[in-house]
Amino acid sequence: MNAALEGKVYPDTTFTVDEERVHLFRAAVGEGEQIVPPTFATAAEFAVFPLIVGDAELDLDFTRVIHAEQEYEWRRPFRVGEALTVRSRIASIRQKAGNGFLTIETELLGRDGELVVLARATMIERAA
Amino acid sequence: MAQRTVRFEDLAVGDAVLSVSRVVTREDVKRYADASGDQNPLHQEEDFARAVGFPGIIAHGMFTMGHLATSLTDWLGNPSRLKRLTVQFRAPVFMGETIVAEGRVKALDRETRTAVLDVWVRVERDGTTEYPIRKSEAVVGFPDPQG
Repeated sequence: MNAALEGKVYPDTTFTVDEERVHLFRAAVGEGEQIVPPTFATAAEFAVFPLIVGDAELDLDFTRVIHAEQEYEWRRPFRVGEALTVRSRIASIRQKAGNGFLTIETELLGRDGELVVLARATMIERAA
Repeated sequence: MAQRTVRFEDLAVGDAVLSVSRVVTREDVKRYADASGDQNPLHQEEDFARAVGFPGIIAHGMFTMGHLATSLTDWLGNPSRLKRLTVQFRAPVFMGETIVAEGRVKALDRETRTAVLDVWVRVERDGTTEYPIRKSEAVVGFPDPQG
């Protein structure tokens, strides 16, 4: 993994809180009707993650990657139908005992630019 | 709803607050992959999982975190009370296993009406307890003095 990419900001993406997808997600995590599951934020992160883990400059071997940590900070619940701006950056890249640690920080912003969710995902690229 | 919903005043440090079980099925994990967009073959293809060192496909860490979050929102009665959830993934979850989301009150702040919970997800495997999610933390808020 190329540690020089620490701090790289990826282009903003728009993610819509689509009703059908919320329905499918709710079924998958066993959440009750009327509620948008808080971890639906993951679906928004995955609007950008393929771009990051597939970034040739980052040089990440995805077959050796496992998810190590995840953090969400919610400022308000999602609203079905709203469009969010997804803004991701590589917050840190560290090496420890041959393993690489990649932390991606993602802001989900509402229509007025207000922070709706702050997400932090840490992946480990296991030693080859 | 109001009767089964927890109130800030009901909480005491050390209280066990959750114990919610769920059987993990291949169908639910596939549904989760489609809903989340995480199509990593580690969660769907047996051959791939074995090639990277697992005995079979494993659930997404986020599937397990999703179960924990659902357990919390059910207990809270209102998803807006869940302010923060920080988890560490420390063991895989295989198909057919039963995951159990649990938690305990760690600290209470009466001024901000906020509680910090220790949370984890365990699975019983071959006579031992494994923790797919361990040493993790949730922050929950009860801004309304009625709740």
